[in-house]
Amino acid sequence: MSEAYFPVGPGLGPEENFLSLDDILMSQEKLPGRAESSLPRLAFALGPGAGTGDSIPEGSKLEIPLWLAKGLHDSKRRIISVELPKIYKEAWRTVFSADANVVDLHKMGPYYYGFGSQLLNFDNPENPEIAQSILQTFISRFRRIMDSSQNAYNEDTSALVARLDELERALFQAGQKGLNDFQCWEKGQASQITASSLVQNYGKRKFTDMDG
Amino acid sequence: MEPAEAEFLAEKELVTIVPNFSLDRIHLIGGDLGPFNPGLPVEVPVWLAINLKQRQKCRLIPPEWMDVEKLEEIRDQERKEDTFTPMPSPYYMELTKLLLNYASDNIPKADEIRTLVKDTWDTRIAKLRLSADSFVRQQEAHAKLDNLTLMEINTTGTFLTQALDHMYKLRTNLQPGESAHSQDF
Repeated sequence: MSEAYFPVGPGLGPEENFLSLDDILMSQEKLPGRAESSLPRLAFALGPGAGTGDSIPEGSKLEIPLWLAKGLHDSKRRIISVELPKIYKEAWRTVFSADANVVDLHKMGPYYYGFGSQLLNFDNPENPEIAQSILQTFISRFRRIMDSSQNAYNEDTSALVARLDELERALFQAGQKGLNDFQCWEKGQASQITASSLVQNYGKRKFTDMDG
Repeated sequence: MEPAEAEFLAEKELVTIVPNFSLDRIHLIGGDLGPFNPGLPVEVPVWLAINLKQRQKCRLIPPEWMDVEKLEEIRDQERKEDTFTPMPSPYYMELTKLLLNYASDNIPKADEIRTLVKDTWDTRIAKLRLSADSFVRQQEAHAKLDNLTLMEINTTGTFLTQALDHMYKLRTNLQPGESAHSQDF
């Protein structure tokens, strides 16, 4: 209750939360896909064309952001078709099941879990395996996040979070906060009165600076 | 809940003091306290004991579990068992901090006691983490842990509940259940 505003968290499963900043940023990540039919006059936005009149020929490969892919994806597949990004494919899935802790999830797309959940929207025969693989990856990495977040007090944690994706980083911060609150209480700082973060930047704080 | 709130709840526990003033029985909303006679021990809540001690009006008597041998026994038993052993007080951590900060002159071997309590705390937290890890690994639906104190639950609670939330969301992905929302009109 000491915060002024509660951010809206990411959505559940294949649904996104409209108001969640995490979901908005995540849906900007790109998917590889193909144009199934010719897209008139859209070359300036999606393809390599220069003029505004160029159209994207049928069958050309595109990198489409998720929000666009979800909107244009249709079960009759008239407009575009999407493929899985490589980290959700068979090869990487076996890497994750072997040892999920060594993978740098931040480099692989900082929204591995969220994006993976969104991919289940597109009908794809590998969906159950993808869902299972994401869940197992989370479970295997849980221990390390817990240990590192609860044991690193007052240190530079950038080396520890470098390989975590956004969802894991939020978890790491929650763990750090629990630890910091406890340590701060034990030192006795919890009962000291400090200026609230909301008013610290106001110009008119110092009594001596005011006139009269 | 923050640690300061847990400490506030801990201050309701009763502790024995020996006052050096006299006062008739006082009637407070929570109950009666007193009467206070110099030299005679009386039980009061910790918040009052700390306050009187700071004003140098009493001498604190440590609770019977705050003793080096007893704590060593508790610590060794904690290390032997896989589950959590019952603690002498559900607020042992807060009471230790409060009493040792404000009344360490009334408590013999205060530093050793601090170390022993810290060791016990570390052992219990390690067990809690192990249990959380196996809980997540086996994707259990519910777990029961006896004899945990409020402070321990607070320290790991937020992290654990958020992680379980995420796991739940990822698990609902496995249900091919309801069809995706359609944007076609």
